[in-house]
Amino acid sequence: MMAELNPLSSCRSGLQPYPPTTMFETKKLTKYFGGVCAVNALDLVVGEKEIIGLIGPNGAGKTTVFNLITGFIRPSGGSIVLNGENLVGKKPHTIAERGIARTFQIAKSFPQFTVIQNMAAAGHLFGGAGFWEGIVRTPRYRRKERNIQEHSMRTLSFVGLEAWKDAIAGTLPHAHQKLLGVAMALAAAPKLLLLDEPLEGMSAEEVDRALEIISAIRAQGIAVLLIEHNMRAVMRICDKIVVISFGEEIARGTPEEVKQNDEVIKAYLGAASYAE
Amino acid sequence: MSRKSVANLALVVVALLMPAAARGNEYYLHVYMMCAINTIAAVSLRSIAKTGQMSIGQAGFMAVGAYASSILATKMNLPVYWAMLMGGFASMLLAALIGFPLSRIRTVYFVTVTMFLGEIIRLVAFEWRSVTGGSTGLESIPPPAAFSMGILHVNFANRIYFCYLALFVLLFVILILYNIERSHAGTVLSAIGQEESLSASVGINVASYKVLILCVGCFFTGLAGSLYAHYMTVLNPDAFSIFTSLYVLIYVVVGGRAFAGPIVGAVILTLIPEIFAALKEYQPFVFVLILFLVVFLLPGGLTDLPRRIRESAGRTSAGEAG
Repeated sequence: MMAELNPLSSCRSGLQPYPPTTMFETKKLTKYFGGVCAVNALDLVVGEKEIIGLIGPNGAGKTTVFNLITGFIRPSGGSIVLNGENLVGKKPHTIAERGIARTFQIAKSFPQFTVIQNMAAAGHLFGGAGFWEGIVRTPRYRRKERNIQEHSMRTLSFVGLEAWKDAIAGTLPHAHQKLLGVAMALAAAPKLLLLDEPLEGMSAEEVDRALEIISAIRAQGIAVLLIEHNMRAVMRICDKIVVISFGEEIARGTPEEVKQNDEVIKAYLGAASYAE
Repeated sequence: MSRKSVANLALVVVALLMPAAARGNEYYLHVYMMCAINTIAAVSLRSIAKTGQMSIGQAGFMAVGAYASSILATKMNLPVYWAMLMGGFASMLLAALIGFPLSRIRTVYFVTVTMFLGEIIRLVAFEWRSVTGGSTGLESIPPPAAFSMGILHVNFANRIYFCYLALFVLLFVILILYNIERSHAGTVLSAIGQEESLSASVGINVASYKVLILCVGCFFTGLAGSLYAHYMTVLNPDAFSIFTSLYVLIYVVVGGRAFAGPIVGAVILTLIPEIFAALKEYQPFVFVLILFLVVFLLPGGLTDLPRRIRESAGRTSAGEAG
Protein backbone atom coordinates (compact mmCIF):
# COMPACT_ATOMS: atom_id res chain seq x y z
CA MET A 1 0.00 0.00 0.00
CA MET A 2 2.75 2.45 0.91
CA ALA A 3 4.29 2.78 -2.49
CA GLU A 4 7.94 3.80 -2.69
CA LEU A 5 8.40 3.59 1.02
CA ASN A 6 12.01 2.97 1.87
CA PRO A 7 12.06 1.34 5.33
CA LEU A 8 15.66 2.37 6.00
CA SER A 9 15.12 6.07 5.79
CA SER A 10 11.72 6.13 7.43
CA CYS A 11 13.04 5.83 10.98
CA ARG A 12 13.58 9.11 12.75
CA SER A 13 16.68 11.02 11.67
CA GLY A 14 17.47 8.29 9.13
CA LEU A 15 21.09 7.66 8.28
CA GLN A 16 21.89 11.20 7.25
CA PRO A 17 24.54 13.45 8.77
CA TYR A 18 23.32 15.40 11.77
CA PRO A 19 22.55 18.24 11.97
CA PRO A 20 21.23 18.17 8.41
CA THR A 21 21.94 21.04 6.02
CA THR A 22 19.49 23.90 6.30
CA MET A 23 17.09 24.13 3.36
CA PHE A 24 14.53 26.50 4.74
CA GLU A 25 14.54 29.18 7.39
CA THR A 26 12.64 32.22 8.59
CA LYS A 27 14.56 35.02 10.25
CA LYS A 28 12.81 37.38 12.63
CA LEU A 29 9.50 36.67 10.90
CA THR A 30 6.98 39.21 12.23
CA LYS A 31 3.35 39.98 11.53
CA TYR A 32 1.19 42.71 13.00
CA PHE A 33 -2.56 42.80 12.45
CA GLY A 34 -3.24 46.44 13.22
CA GLY A 35 -1.65 46.86 16.63
CA VAL A 36 -1.80 43.19 17.51
CA CYS A 37 1.38 41.22 17.15
CA ALA A 38 0.38 37.82 15.73
CA VAL A 39 3.91 36.56 15.09
CA ASN A 40 6.94 38.10 16.74
CA ALA A 41 10.51 37.65 15.45
CA LEU A 42 10.11 33.95 14.80
CA ASP A 43 13.18 31.98 13.70
CA LEU A 44 12.42 28.62 12.15
CA VAL A 45 15.06 26.33 10.69
CA VAL A 46 14.21 23.26 8.65
CA GLY A 47 16.96 20.93 7.44
CA GLU A 48 16.84 18.46 4.57
CA LYS A 49 14.43 15.60 5.30
CA GLU A 50 13.59 16.98 8.72
CA ILE A 51 10.19 16.90 10.39
CA ILE A 52 9.77 20.00 12.52
CA GLY A 53 6.78 20.41 14.82
CA LEU A 54 5.24 23.82 15.36
CA ILE A 55 3.04 23.69 18.42
CA GLY A 56 1.36 26.10 20.77
CA PRO A 57 -1.99 26.87 22.35
CA ASN A 58 -4.96 27.97 20.23
CA GLY A 59 -4.45 31.44 18.82
CA ALA A 60 -0.67 31.24 19.20
CA GLY A 61 -0.22 32.25 15.55
CA LYS A 62 0.71 28.90 14.05
CA THR A 63 -1.60 29.10 11.05
CA THR A 64 -0.54 32.72 10.56
CA VAL A 65 3.03 31.46 10.22
CA PHE A 66 1.87 29.09 7.46
CA ASN A 67 -0.02 31.87 5.72
CA LEU A 68 3.09 34.04 5.88
CA ILE A 69 5.36 31.33 4.51
CA THR A 70 3.02 30.50 1.62
CA GLY A 71 2.48 34.13 0.67
CA PHE A 72 -1.21 34.37 1.50
CA ILE A 73 -0.40 37.26 3.81
CA ARG A 74 2.63 39.54 3.73
CA PRO A 75 4.95 39.65 6.73
CA SER A 76 5.45 42.99 8.51
CA GLY A 77 9.13 42.14 8.85
CA GLY A 78 11.74 39.44 8.63
CA SER A 79 12.69 37.06 5.86
CA ILE A 80 11.61 33.67 4.55
CA VAL A 81 14.40 31.84 2.78
CA LEU A 82 14.15 28.61 0.78
CA ASN A 83 17.43 27.28 -0.58
CA GLY A 84 19.00 30.73 -0.42
CA GLU A 85 16.11 32.59 -2.07
CA ASN A 86 14.06 35.13 -0.14
CA LEU A 87 10.37 34.46 -0.72
CA VAL A 88 8.95 37.56 0.98
CA GLY A 89 6.55 39.41 -1.33
CA LYS A 90 6.13 36.51 -3.73
CA LYS A 91 2.64 35.34 -4.71
CA PRO A 92 1.29 32.02 -3.36
CA HIS A 93 1.52 30.31 -6.75
CA THR A 94 5.15 31.39 -7.17
CA ILE A 95 6.00 30.05 -3.72
CA ALA A 96 4.34 26.74 -4.62
CA GLU A 97 6.45 26.74 -7.77
CA ARG A 98 9.61 27.25 -5.72
CA GLY A 99 8.74 24.11 -3.76
CA ILE A 100 6.57 24.88 -0.73
CA ALA A 101 3.19 23.14 -0.61
CA ARG A 102 0.64 23.24 2.19
CA THR A 103 -2.54 21.73 3.51
CA PHE A 104 -5.26 23.71 5.21
CA GLN A 105 -6.53 23.40 8.76
CA ILE A 106 -10.07 22.90 7.50
CA ALA A 107 -9.53 20.31 4.79
CA LYS A 108 -9.93 21.96 1.39
CA SER A 109 -10.60 20.25 -1.88
CA PHE A 110 -12.33 21.12 -5.13
CA PRO A 111 -15.67 19.76 -3.90
CA GLN A 112 -17.40 19.24 -7.26
CA PHE A 113 -14.47 17.33 -8.73
CA THR A 114 -13.79 13.63 -8.35
CA VAL A 115 -10.70 12.72 -6.34
CA ILE A 116 -8.67 12.07 -9.48
CA GLN A 117 -9.74 15.43 -10.99
CA ASN A 118 -8.62 17.10 -7.78
CA MET A 119 -5.25 15.47 -8.23
CA ALA A 120 -5.06 16.57 -11.87
CA ALA A 121 -5.69 20.18 -10.86
CA ALA A 122 -3.14 19.90 -8.06
CA GLY A 123 -0.62 18.38 -10.49
CA HIS A 124 -0.67 21.63 -12.47
CA LEU A 125 2.95 22.45 -11.64
CA PHE A 126 4.12 18.90 -12.15
CA GLY A 127 2.59 18.60 -15.61
CA GLY A 128 3.40 22.04 -16.96
CA ALA A 129 0.55 21.72 -19.45
CA GLY A 130 -0.08 25.13 -21.02
CA PHE A 131 -3.30 26.89 -21.93
CA TRP A 132 -2.98 27.15 -25.71
CA GLU A 133 -1.45 23.76 -26.46
CA GLY A 134 -4.49 22.15 -24.82
CA ILE A 135 -6.78 23.71 -27.42
CA VAL A 136 -4.95 22.18 -30.36
CA ARG A 137 -4.04 19.00 -28.43
CA THR A 138 -0.51 18.67 -29.71
CA PRO A 139 1.19 15.28 -29.11
CA ARG A 140 3.46 17.01 -26.60
CA TYR A 141 0.41 18.26 -24.72
CA ARG A 142 -1.15 14.77 -24.66
CA ARG A 143 2.06 13.38 -23.26
CA LYS A 144 1.97 15.99 -20.49
CA GLU A 145 -1.65 15.13 -19.76
CA ARG A 146 -0.74 11.43 -19.47
CA ASN A 147 2.14 12.33 -17.15
CA ILE A 148 -0.22 14.25 -14.89
CA GLN A 149 -2.60 11.27 -14.81
CA GLU A 150 0.17 8.84 -13.90
CA HIS A 151 1.61 11.20 -11.32
CA SER A 152 -1.86 11.65 -9.81
CA MET A 153 -2.44 7.91 -9.51
CA ARG A 154 1.02 7.36 -8.01
CA THR A 155 0.45 10.05 -5.41
CA LEU A 156 -3.04 8.76 -4.62
CA SER A 157 -1.79 5.24 -3.99
CA PHE A 158 1.03 6.72 -1.90
CA VAL A 159 -1.57 8.02 0.58
CA GLY A 160 -3.80 4.97 0.05
CA LEU A 161 -6.72 6.71 -1.66
CA GLU A 162 -6.55 4.94 -5.03
CA ALA A 163 -9.81 3.09 -4.37
CA TRP A 164 -11.60 6.45 -3.98
CA LYS A 165 -10.37 7.97 -7.22
CA ASP A 166 -13.83 8.35 -8.78
CA ALA A 167 -15.60 9.58 -5.65
CA ILE A 168 -16.76 13.21 -5.57
CA ALA A 169 -14.30 14.97 -3.27
CA GLY A 170 -16.99 16.86 -1.36
CA THR A 171 -18.59 13.58 -0.25
CA LEU A 172 -15.44 11.92 1.15
CA PRO A 173 -15.28 10.98 4.85
CA HIS A 174 -13.36 13.46 6.99
CA ALA A 175 -10.12 11.50 7.37
CA HIS A 176 -10.03 10.87 3.63
CA GLN A 177 -10.54 14.57 2.94
CA LYS A 178 -7.48 15.25 5.08
CA LEU A 179 -5.45 12.64 3.20
CA LEU A 180 -6.64 14.04 -0.12
CA GLY A 181 -5.35 17.44 1.02
CA VAL A 182 -1.94 15.90 1.70
CA ALA A 183 -1.97 14.08 -1.64
CA MET A 184 -2.83 17.30 -3.46
CA ALA A 185 -0.01 19.16 -1.75
CA LEU A 186 2.35 16.34 -2.73
CA ALA A 187 1.10 16.48 -6.32
CA ALA A 188 2.68 19.93 -6.58
CA ALA A 189 6.07 18.18 -6.12
CA PRO A 190 7.25 20.21 -3.11
CA LYS A 191 10.58 20.28 -1.29
CA LEU A 192 8.96 21.48 1.91
CA LEU A 193 5.48 20.42 2.97
CA LEU A 194 3.47 22.42 5.51
CA LEU A 195 0.83 20.33 7.24
CA ASP A 196 -1.77 22.25 9.24
CA GLU A 197 -3.31 19.86 11.79
CA PRO A 198 -3.34 16.83 9.50
CA LEU A 199 -4.43 14.48 12.30
CA GLU A 200 -7.32 16.58 13.56
CA GLY A 201 -10.50 14.52 13.96
CA MET A 202 -8.87 11.20 13.09
CA SER A 203 -9.34 7.94 14.94
CA ALA A 204 -6.35 6.20 16.58
CA GLU A 205 -5.83 3.85 13.63
CA GLU A 206 -6.18 6.69 11.16
CA VAL A 207 -3.56 8.66 13.10
CA ASP A 208 -1.16 5.72 12.89
CA ARG A 209 -1.68 5.49 9.13
CA ALA A 210 -1.24 9.23 8.70
CA LEU A 211 2.00 9.16 10.70
CA GLU A 212 3.28 6.33 8.50
CA ILE A 213 2.50 8.49 5.49
CA ILE A 214 4.32 11.49 6.96
CA SER A 215 7.40 9.32 7.60
CA ALA A 216 7.16 8.04 4.06
CA ILE A 217 7.00 11.63 2.78
CA ARG A 218 10.24 12.38 4.58
CA ALA A 219 11.73 9.24 3.09
CA GLN A 220 11.01 10.73 -0.34
CA GLY A 221 13.34 13.60 0.55
CA ILE A 222 10.65 16.13 1.46
CA ALA A 223 11.01 18.17 4.64
CA VAL A 224 7.88 18.64 6.74
CA LEU A 225 6.74 21.49 8.96
CA LEU A 226 3.90 20.23 11.10
CA ILE A 227 1.24 22.03 13.13
CA GLU A 228 -0.56 19.55 15.33
CA HIS A 229 -2.41 19.37 18.63
CA ASN A 230 -2.07 15.62 19.03
CA MET A 231 0.95 15.71 21.41
CA ARG A 232 1.58 11.99 21.43
CA ALA A 233 1.87 12.03 17.63
CA VAL A 234 4.02 15.17 17.56
CA MET A 235 6.43 13.73 20.15
CA ARG A 236 6.62 10.50 18.20
CA ILE A 237 7.34 11.85 14.75
CA CYS A 238 9.14 15.20 15.00
CA ASP A 239 12.91 15.62 14.98
CA LYS A 240 12.62 19.01 16.60
CA ILE A 241 9.80 21.05 18.02
CA VAL A 242 9.27 24.80 18.19
CA VAL A 243 6.72 25.97 20.75
CA ILE A 244 5.07 29.35 20.30
CA SER A 245 2.62 31.21 22.47
CA PHE A 246 1.06 34.57 21.57
CA GLY A 247 3.25 34.72 18.48
CA GLU A 248 6.50 34.29 20.39
CA GLU A 249 8.81 31.35 20.62
CA ILE A 250 8.92 30.01 24.17
CA ALA A 251 10.94 26.85 23.62
CA ARG A 252 12.62 24.72 21.02
CA GLY A 253 14.50 21.45 20.93
CA THR A 254 14.04 17.73 20.65
CA PRO A 255 10.73 16.25 21.84
CA GLU A 256 12.39 15.17 25.12
CA GLU A 257 13.78 18.66 25.78
CA VAL A 258 10.47 20.32 25.03
CA LYS A 259 8.53 17.88 27.18
CA GLN A 260 10.64 18.82 30.19
CA ASN A 261 10.69 22.56 29.58
CA ASP A 262 9.00 24.35 32.51
CA GLU A 263 7.90 27.26 30.33
CA VAL A 264 6.12 24.90 27.95
CA ILE A 265 4.45 22.93 30.70
CA LYS A 266 3.23 26.16 32.24
CA ALA A 267 2.03 27.90 29.08
CA TYR A 268 0.81 25.06 27.03
CA LEU A 269 0.74 21.56 28.36
CA GLY A 270 -0.85 22.83 31.54
CA ALA A 271 -0.96 20.02 34.06
CA ALA A 272 2.46 18.64 34.99
CA SER A 273 0.85 15.22 34.95
CA TYR A 274 1.13 15.19 31.15
CA ALA A 275 4.71 13.96 31.07
CA GLU A 276 3.50 10.43 31.84
CA MET B 1 -18.25 6.62 -32.96
CA SER B 2 -20.10 6.94 -29.68
CA ARG B 3 -23.82 7.60 -29.48
CA LYS B 4 -23.12 11.04 -28.10
CA SER B 5 -20.95 12.15 -31.00
CA VAL B 6 -23.52 10.78 -33.48
CA ALA B 7 -26.14 12.92 -31.75
CA ASN B 8 -23.85 15.97 -31.85
CA LEU B 9 -23.15 15.43 -35.53
CA ALA B 10 -26.88 15.11 -36.19
CA LEU B 11 -27.46 18.44 -34.44
CA VAL B 12 -24.79 20.12 -36.57
CA VAL B 13 -26.40 18.71 -39.72
CA VAL B 14 -29.80 20.00 -38.61
CA ALA B 15 -28.28 23.43 -37.92
CA LEU B 16 -26.75 23.32 -41.41
CA LEU B 17 -30.00 22.35 -43.11
CA MET B 18 -32.23 24.81 -41.28
CA PRO B 19 -31.35 28.01 -43.20
CA ALA B 20 -31.74 26.09 -46.47
CA ALA B 21 -35.15 24.87 -45.35
CA ALA B 22 -36.17 28.41 -44.37
CA ARG B 23 -34.87 29.77 -47.67
CA GLY B 24 -36.81 32.81 -48.75
CA ASN B 25 -38.48 33.35 -45.38
CA GLU B 26 -36.68 36.43 -44.12
CA TYR B 27 -38.27 36.23 -40.69
CA TYR B 28 -37.15 32.65 -39.97
CA LEU B 29 -33.65 33.50 -41.12
CA HIS B 30 -33.61 36.53 -38.84
CA VAL B 31 -34.58 34.38 -35.83
CA TYR B 32 -31.87 31.91 -36.80
CA MET B 33 -29.30 34.73 -36.85
CA MET B 34 -30.37 35.95 -33.43
CA CYS B 35 -30.13 32.40 -32.04
CA ALA B 36 -26.59 32.07 -33.37
CA ILE B 37 -25.42 35.46 -32.07
CA ASN B 38 -26.98 34.93 -28.63
CA THR B 39 -25.49 31.45 -28.41
CA ILE B 40 -22.00 32.75 -29.13
CA ALA B 41 -22.38 35.31 -26.34
CA ALA B 42 -23.79 32.70 -23.95
CA VAL B 43 -21.14 29.99 -24.45
CA SER B 44 -18.45 32.67 -24.05
CA LEU B 45 -19.95 33.88 -20.78
CA ARG B 46 -20.16 30.32 -19.47
CA SER B 47 -16.43 29.83 -19.99
CA ILE B 48 -15.65 33.13 -18.28
CA ALA B 49 -18.02 32.30 -15.41
CA LYS B 50 -16.28 28.94 -14.81
CA THR B 51 -13.66 30.78 -12.78
CA GLY B 52 -16.37 32.44 -10.69
CA GLN B 53 -16.40 35.61 -12.81
CA MET B 54 -20.15 35.93 -13.42
CA SER B 55 -20.17 39.01 -15.63
CA ILE B 56 -23.25 41.09 -16.34
CA GLY B 57 -21.44 43.43 -18.66
CA GLN B 58 -21.29 41.19 -21.71
CA ALA B 59 -23.41 43.60 -23.77
CA GLY B 60 -20.61 46.11 -23.26
CA PHE B 61 -18.08 43.74 -24.81
CA MET B 62 -20.52 43.05 -27.67
CA ALA B 63 -20.86 46.81 -28.17
CA VAL B 64 -17.09 47.28 -28.32
CA GLY B 65 -16.86 44.56 -30.99
CA ALA B 66 -19.83 45.94 -32.93
CA TYR B 67 -18.71 49.58 -32.89
CA ALA B 68 -15.03 48.87 -33.52
CA SER B 69 -15.85 46.68 -36.48
CA SER B 70 -18.44 49.09 -37.93
CA ILE B 71 -16.22 52.14 -37.55
CA LEU B 72 -13.26 50.35 -39.12
CA ALA B 73 -15.43 49.22 -42.03
CA THR B 74 -17.30 52.49 -42.65
CA LYS B 75 -14.77 55.19 -41.78
CA MET B 76 -11.50 53.46 -42.56
CA ASN B 77 -12.71 51.22 -45.38
CA LEU B 78 -11.14 48.14 -43.91
CA PRO B 79 -12.36 44.92 -45.62
CA VAL B 80 -15.30 43.70 -43.56
CA TYR B 81 -13.78 40.30 -42.72
CA TRP B 82 -10.79 42.04 -41.20
CA ALA B 83 -12.96 44.62 -39.50
CA MET B 84 -15.00 41.87 -37.82
CA LEU B 85 -11.86 40.16 -36.62
CA MET B 86 -10.57 43.49 -35.29
CA GLY B 87 -13.90 43.93 -33.50
CA GLY B 88 -13.14 40.73 -31.61
CA PHE B 89 -9.63 41.94 -30.85
CA ALA B 90 -10.87 45.33 -29.63
CA SER B 91 -13.14 43.61 -27.14
CA MET B 92 -10.28 41.35 -26.11
CA LEU B 93 -7.97 44.32 -25.63
CA LEU B 94 -10.46 45.90 -23.26
CA ALA B 95 -10.71 42.60 -21.38
CA ALA B 96 -6.92 42.44 -21.09
CA LEU B 97 -6.76 46.02 -19.78
CA ILE B 98 -9.37 45.57 -17.07
CA GLY B 99 -8.72 41.86 -16.50
CA PHE B 100 -6.10 42.14 -13.76
CA PRO B 101 -7.99 44.58 -11.55
CA LEU B 102 -11.14 42.50 -12.16
CA SER B 103 -9.34 39.28 -11.23
CA ARG B 104 -8.85 40.59 -7.72
CA ILE B 105 -12.53 41.07 -6.93
CA ARG B 106 -15.11 38.37 -6.47
CA THR B 107 -18.81 37.56 -6.15
CA VAL B 108 -21.15 40.51 -5.79
CA TYR B 109 -18.32 43.03 -6.28
CA PHE B 110 -17.40 41.47 -9.60
CA VAL B 111 -21.05 41.48 -10.68
CA THR B 112 -21.44 45.15 -9.73
CA VAL B 113 -18.28 46.30 -11.46
CA THR B 114 -19.06 44.44 -14.70
CA MET B 115 -22.60 45.82 -14.66
CA PHE B 116 -21.31 49.39 -14.46
CA LEU B 117 -18.66 48.62 -17.05
CA GLY B 118 -21.37 47.57 -19.48
CA GLU B 119 -23.34 50.73 -18.79
CA ILE B 120 -20.26 52.92 -19.15
CA ILE B 121 -19.55 51.45 -22.57
CA ARG B 122 -23.15 52.03 -23.62
CA LEU B 123 -22.98 55.65 -22.40
CA VAL B 124 -19.73 56.23 -24.25
CA ALA B 125 -21.40 54.96 -27.42
CA PHE B 126 -24.30 57.28 -26.66
CA GLU B 127 -22.30 60.42 -25.94
CA TRP B 128 -19.29 60.20 -28.24
CA ARG B 129 -21.28 61.46 -31.21
CA SER B 130 -18.41 62.25 -33.57
CA VAL B 131 -17.31 58.63 -33.63
CA THR B 132 -20.33 56.51 -32.71
CA GLY B 133 -23.11 58.69 -34.03
CA GLY B 134 -24.71 59.06 -30.60
CA SER B 135 -28.29 57.93 -30.19
CA THR B 136 -28.94 57.72 -33.92
CA GLY B 137 -25.93 55.47 -34.20
CA LEU B 138 -24.20 54.25 -37.34
CA GLU B 139 -25.89 53.55 -40.64
CA SER B 140 -25.22 51.59 -43.81
CA ILE B 141 -22.67 49.32 -42.25
CA PRO B 142 -21.53 47.13 -45.14
CA PRO B 143 -21.94 43.36 -45.13
CA PRO B 144 -18.84 41.28 -45.92
CA ALA B 145 -17.83 41.32 -49.58
CA ALA B 146 -19.38 38.77 -51.91
CA PHE B 147 -17.13 36.01 -53.20
CA SER B 148 -17.33 33.00 -55.47
CA MET B 149 -15.90 29.56 -55.06
CA GLY B 150 -16.54 27.45 -58.17
CA ILE B 151 -20.31 27.11 -58.50
CA LEU B 152 -20.89 28.68 -55.06
CA HIS B 153 -21.70 32.39 -55.24
CA VAL B 154 -21.85 33.87 -51.78
CA ASN B 155 -23.54 37.24 -51.55
CA PHE B 156 -24.34 38.55 -48.12
CA ALA B 157 -27.21 40.62 -49.47
CA ASN B 158 -29.00 37.29 -49.12
CA ARG B 159 -29.63 36.56 -45.46
CA ILE B 160 -29.09 32.86 -45.85
CA TYR B 161 -25.34 33.35 -46.34
CA PHE B 162 -25.19 35.47 -43.22
CA CYS B 163 -26.81 32.59 -41.37
CA TYR B 164 -24.10 30.25 -42.60
CA LEU B 165 -21.37 32.73 -41.67
CA ALA B 166 -22.83 33.00 -38.15
CA LEU B 167 -23.12 29.23 -37.89
CA PHE B 168 -19.52 28.86 -39.01
CA VAL B 169 -18.34 31.32 -36.35
CA LEU B 170 -20.54 29.63 -33.73
CA LEU B 171 -19.16 26.16 -34.49
CA PHE B 172 -15.62 27.53 -34.34
CA VAL B 173 -16.28 29.17 -30.96
CA ILE B 174 -17.86 25.99 -29.60
CA LEU B 175 -14.93 23.90 -30.84
CA ILE B 176 -12.34 26.14 -29.16
CA LEU B 177 -14.23 26.52 -25.89
CA TYR B 178 -15.02 22.81 -25.76
CA ASN B 179 -11.36 21.95 -26.25
CA ILE B 180 -10.42 24.34 -23.45
CA GLU B 181 -13.07 22.75 -21.25
CA ARG B 182 -11.83 19.19 -21.66
CA SER B 183 -8.13 20.08 -21.53
CA HIS B 184 -6.06 20.58 -18.41
CA ALA B 185 -6.82 24.31 -18.64
CA GLY B 186 -10.52 23.51 -18.22
CA THR B 187 -9.77 21.61 -15.03
CA VAL B 188 -7.71 24.52 -13.76
CA LEU B 189 -10.40 27.10 -14.58
CA SER B 190 -13.07 25.10 -12.81
CA ALA B 191 -10.73 24.53 -9.85
CA ILE B 192 -10.28 28.31 -9.54
CA GLY B 193 -14.05 28.72 -9.52
CA GLN B 194 -14.40 26.18 -6.71
CA GLU B 195 -11.53 27.07 -4.37
CA GLU B 196 -9.31 30.01 -5.21
CA SER B 197 -6.87 29.79 -2.32
CA LEU B 198 -6.39 26.04 -2.73
CA SER B 199 -5.71 26.61 -6.45
CA ALA B 200 -3.06 29.20 -5.63
CA SER B 201 -1.48 26.90 -3.03
CA VAL B 202 -0.90 24.15 -5.60
CA GLY B 203 0.81 26.61 -7.91
CA ILE B 204 -1.98 27.78 -10.18
CA ASN B 205 -1.56 31.41 -11.25
CA VAL B 206 -5.14 32.38 -10.48
CA ALA B 207 -5.01 35.94 -11.80
CA SER B 208 -3.48 35.10 -15.16
CA TYR B 209 -5.87 32.20 -15.79
CA LYS B 210 -8.80 34.48 -15.00
CA VAL B 211 -7.50 37.13 -17.39
CA LEU B 212 -6.75 34.56 -20.09
CA ILE B 213 -10.25 33.13 -20.15
CA LEU B 214 -11.77 36.61 -19.90
CA CYS B 215 -9.77 37.60 -22.98
CA VAL B 216 -10.77 34.50 -24.94
CA GLY B 217 -14.44 34.85 -23.93
CA CYS B 218 -14.55 38.55 -24.70
CA PHE B 219 -12.87 38.03 -28.07
CA PHE B 220 -15.76 35.76 -29.06
CA THR B 221 -18.32 38.09 -27.49
CA GLY B 222 -16.86 40.97 -29.52
CA LEU B 223 -17.05 38.78 -32.61
CA ALA B 224 -20.75 38.16 -31.89
CA GLY B 225 -21.21 41.93 -31.61
CA SER B 226 -19.56 42.61 -34.96
CA LEU B 227 -21.60 39.84 -36.62
CA TYR B 228 -24.67 41.60 -35.28
CA ALA B 229 -23.57 45.02 -36.57
CA HIS B 230 -22.80 43.92 -40.12
CA TYR B 231 -25.94 41.82 -40.26
CA MET B 232 -28.24 44.61 -39.04
CA THR B 233 -26.37 47.27 -41.09
CA VAL B 234 -27.51 49.86 -38.52
CA LEU B 235 -26.27 50.19 -34.99
CA ASN B 236 -27.32 52.18 -31.97
CA PRO B 237 -26.54 52.02 -28.25
CA ASP B 238 -30.03 50.76 -27.28
CA ALA B 239 -29.13 47.28 -28.48
CA PHE B 240 -26.51 47.00 -25.73
CA SER B 241 -28.48 47.97 -22.66
CA ILE B 242 -28.19 46.14 -19.37
CA PHE B 243 -31.08 43.92 -20.45
CA THR B 244 -28.94 42.38 -23.17
CA SER B 245 -26.27 41.56 -20.57
CA LEU B 246 -28.87 40.11 -18.23
CA TYR B 247 -30.39 38.01 -21.01
CA VAL B 248 -27.00 36.48 -21.77
CA LEU B 249 -26.65 35.63 -18.10
CA ILE B 250 -30.17 34.15 -18.02
CA TYR B 251 -29.38 31.96 -21.06
CA VAL B 252 -26.45 30.51 -19.14
CA VAL B 253 -28.32 29.94 -15.87
CA VAL B 254 -31.46 28.55 -17.48
CA GLY B 255 -29.41 26.27 -19.75
CA GLY B 256 -27.49 24.73 -16.89
CA ARG B 257 -24.03 23.66 -15.88
CA ALA B 258 -23.30 21.25 -18.73
CA PHE B 259 -21.30 22.48 -21.70
CA ALA B 260 -24.46 22.33 -23.84
CA GLY B 261 -26.29 24.43 -21.21
CA PRO B 262 -25.83 27.93 -22.67
CA ILE B 263 -26.52 26.61 -26.19
CA VAL B 264 -29.86 25.11 -25.12
CA GLY B 265 -30.67 28.15 -22.97
CA ALA B 266 -29.87 30.72 -25.65
CA VAL B 267 -31.78 28.92 -28.42
CA ILE B 268 -34.89 28.21 -26.35
CA LEU B 269 -35.06 31.65 -24.77
CA THR B 270 -34.50 33.37 -28.11
CA LEU B 271 -37.33 31.33 -29.62
CA ILE B 272 -39.89 31.82 -26.83
CA PRO B 273 -40.63 35.53 -27.47
CA GLU B 274 -40.78 34.76 -31.20
CA ILE B 275 -43.17 31.82 -30.88
CA PHE B 276 -45.43 33.62 -28.43
CA ALA B 277 -45.35 36.94 -30.24
CA ALA B 278 -47.91 38.40 -27.87
CA LEU B 279 -45.39 38.06 -25.03
CA LYS B 280 -42.71 40.08 -26.78
CA GLU B 281 -43.58 43.29 -24.98
CA TYR B 282 -43.24 41.54 -21.65
CA GLN B 283 -39.95 39.84 -22.49
CA PRO B 284 -38.14 40.91 -19.28
CA PHE B 285 -41.01 39.61 -17.14
CA VAL B 286 -41.23 36.34 -19.03
CA PHE B 287 -37.48 35.78 -18.77
CA VAL B 288 -37.39 36.53 -15.06
CA LEU B 289 -40.34 34.18 -14.53
CA ILE B 290 -38.54 31.41 -16.42
CA LEU B 291 -35.38 32.15 -14.47
CA PHE B 292 -37.22 31.81 -11.16
CA LEU B 293 -38.93 28.61 -12.21
CA VAL B 294 -35.64 27.06 -13.28
CA VAL B 295 -33.70 28.20 -10.22
CA PHE B 296 -36.31 26.81 -7.82
CA LEU B 297 -37.56 23.72 -9.66
CA LEU B 298 -34.54 22.70 -11.72
CA PRO B 299 -31.38 24.12 -10.13
CA GLY B 300 -29.19 22.16 -12.55
CA GLY B 301 -30.77 23.97 -15.50
CA LEU B 302 -32.58 22.62 -18.56
CA THR B 303 -29.69 20.30 -19.51
CA ASP B 304 -30.16 18.60 -16.15
CA LEU B 305 -33.72 17.64 -17.13
CA PRO B 306 -32.95 14.24 -18.77
CA ARG B 307 -31.05 13.10 -15.67
CA ARG B 308 -33.88 14.26 -13.39
CA ILE B 309 -36.47 12.41 -15.47
CA ARG B 310 -34.35 9.25 -15.52
CA GLU B 311 -33.89 9.51 -11.77
CA SER B 312 -37.56 9.97 -10.92
CA ALA B 313 -38.50 7.21 -13.41
CA GLY B 314 -36.02 4.94 -11.65
CA ARG B 315 -37.52 5.87 -8.30
CA THR B 316 -41.12 5.12 -9.32
CA SER B 317 -40.20 1.77 -10.91
CA ALA B 318 -38.22 0.89 -7.81
CA GLY B 319 -41.26 1.88 -5.73
CA GLU B 320 -43.51 -0.43 -7.78
CA ALA B 321 -41.08 -3.30 -7.40
CA GLY B 322 -40.96 -2.75 -3.65
